[in-house]
Amino acid sequence: MNPVNEHLYEMLKQVSGYIYPNEVEFHWSILIVVYPYLTGLVAGAFILASLVKVFKVKQLQPVYRLSMLTALSFMIIAPLPLQLHLGHFERSYEIFLTPNFTSAMAMFGFVYAWYLMVVILLEIWFTYRRDLIRWAETDKPVMKFIHRALALFSKDTSEEGERFDMKAVKFITIIGIPSAFMLHGYVGFIFGSIKANPWWSSVLIPIVFLFSAIVSGIALVMLLYMVVTPLRGEKIEIACVDKMASFLFIAVIIDFSLEMLDFIHRLYQSEESIKILSDLVMNRLFISLGIIQVLLGMIVPLVLILFIKLFRVDEELRKLFYFLAAILIQMGIFATRWNVVMGGQMFSKSFRGLTAYKLEIGGMEGLFMTLALLIAPFFILALLIKILPPWEQQSAQS
Amino acid sequence: MKRLLQKIPDSLLRVGTAFIVFIAAVILVRSLIPASLKNTEEHRKATVEREVAHPVRYAGSEVCADCHEQFELKKKGYHKNLACETCHGVAKEHTENPGDVKPVKNTKREACVLCHIYNPSRPTGFPQINPSIHNPMRLCIECHNPHDPKPQHTPQECQACHAQIARTKAVSSHARLECTTCHTVPEQHKITPRQVRPTIPSDRSFCGKCHAKESKFVGTPKIDLVMHGEKYLCWQCHYPHMPEVE
Repeated sequence: MNPVNEHLYEMLKQVSGYIYPNEVEFHWSILIVVYPYLTGLVAGAFILASLVKVFKVKQLQPVYRLSMLTALSFMIIAPLPLQLHLGHFERSYEIFLTPNFTSAMAMFGFVYAWYLMVVILLEIWFTYRRDLIRWAETDKPVMKFIHRALALFSKDTSEEGERFDMKAVKFITIIGIPSAFMLHGYVGFIFGSIKANPWWSSVLIPIVFLFSAIVSGIALVMLLYMVVTPLRGEKIEIACVDKMASFLFIAVIIDFSLEMLDFIHRLYQSEESIKILSDLVMNRLFISLGIIQVLLGMIVPLVLILFIKLFRVDEELRKLFYFLAAILIQMGIFATRWNVVMGGQMFSKSFRGLTAYKLEIGGMEGLFMTLALLIAPFFILALLIKILPPWEQQSAQS
Repeated sequence: MKRLLQKIPDSLLRVGTAFIVFIAAVILVRSLIPASLKNTEEHRKATVEREVAHPVRYAGSEVCADCHEQFELKKKGYHKNLACETCHGVAKEHTENPGDVKPVKNTKREACVLCHIYNPSRPTGFPQINPSIHNPMRLCIECHNPHDPKPQHTPQECQACHAQIARTKAVSSHARLECTTCHTVPEQHKITPRQVRPTIPSDRSFCGKCHAKESKFVGTPKIDLVMHGEKYLCWQCHYPHMPEVE
């Protein structure tokens, strides 16, 4: 048998009912699951940071810089899954030089560039500028140069300059919130606007994506804060974690309600696709949607946080519950992305059959690559924390 | 000017410069890209120009008619919609210099088989062959005139379409049985073969007419219909078009 399509014969065993011939092979692999997951974390982490600057939530000050750096490190990796999936890295910049304004997918470059350059980088720069100058004074030669270069060789440490920086940060955050909504709303829009696919085609998808992004971003920063702080030998500020958990709680409730609304809406509309979609949900997606996404990723974390809110739980147990909830939420949100991307490809557009996705282990779009992509942002974050320590300012203040 | 610059905060000035440098770089690179890659109209224009620049190699069938009388024959035959140059090769130069330049025609079997190899997606009735069993050592044009192609002889009743079965049956012990011994063929089957199908025997007693031990038919293998083969139908074990094979 031709080795090129040998795996397709293997896939045929997984097919139930009738599918079109080109539906055996999945066009969007697990990397396309990773992409909305990563961009969601970026948008979520940024929105958490903006709570400090725009909405003046003082308790979250300790995680402000951390969440900005988290957003940046995940932002750097976010386009990589797409690049690996499409191949030809060397051509990717052409999306900027010869833009196609009528294609939503082709506009990703601009949405991404706007968010990276005008929002995240700029905000981080204004936040850190004065510290960079200060650090450069006491640094060793190499670091001195890095810090000076990052400050764009600015030497202005005047009060006036700092006041302007603060104003700039606030202004950028105000632009940043709609931009974050745009970034992840855009990812949802890509799916929601595919009218030929009833699993995706829904106006609610961008909003569901957005809120799941906020959920995952807050949970990630919470996890990072709870892991990194003890590693530095500092004490976790429970008020900060409590506040994050409160926002997380609200975000999960909104996300959950939106998803249920989408679900009920689909059931009530009962379009021609409803039979195959219920088949999909009850069979192929039962574990990843019913168990992981809804039960473990939403209901259990909600119960955990609610438990803490209702009963006077001591600090250690609270931390444990928060930690557990945040991990479950990450799992749940990854499952959400999986269910959207894979679910949309698992049923035949003839509405008469289901197929399955076979995950490669090695290879460009395999399991190892996925894990590497999911781990890479943490290495970048470690590097960023080394160059731009997010806590120095607080210790100086205290 | 200097005063104006002093009024702008230092940080904004630096970030602004960085942005302006970046945007200038993008604009510069973009200016290096040819217009045909940036603008749809320009792109279309460049494509047309590129295509027009190709040398003209085909002459078109009408020109052939001026000199070659086979054209009249072809016009009436099944190949009427086929351009001369499909088989005879590009002929623009030949039309300009008929004496010296001759087009290179393709008379190999592979050329005909492009359209006439069996392919289930071709319309019913379109002449299709299996090139490895249809006179494999001969050229198509030895038997078929490409300017007026026709089958060498009129298709025989069933064999025309079911040649494979006919060939198998011809060397089997059922060779002398007519197809209609076992199949009742409605006339309409010859016109719409997929919609109206011939009948096939439905039970064991049909084969039993010759093969049951009570049968008066001489010279056939006889079996006990009750004992032989249990509940299975005869053709689940014996292929009727080649009953020797089990």
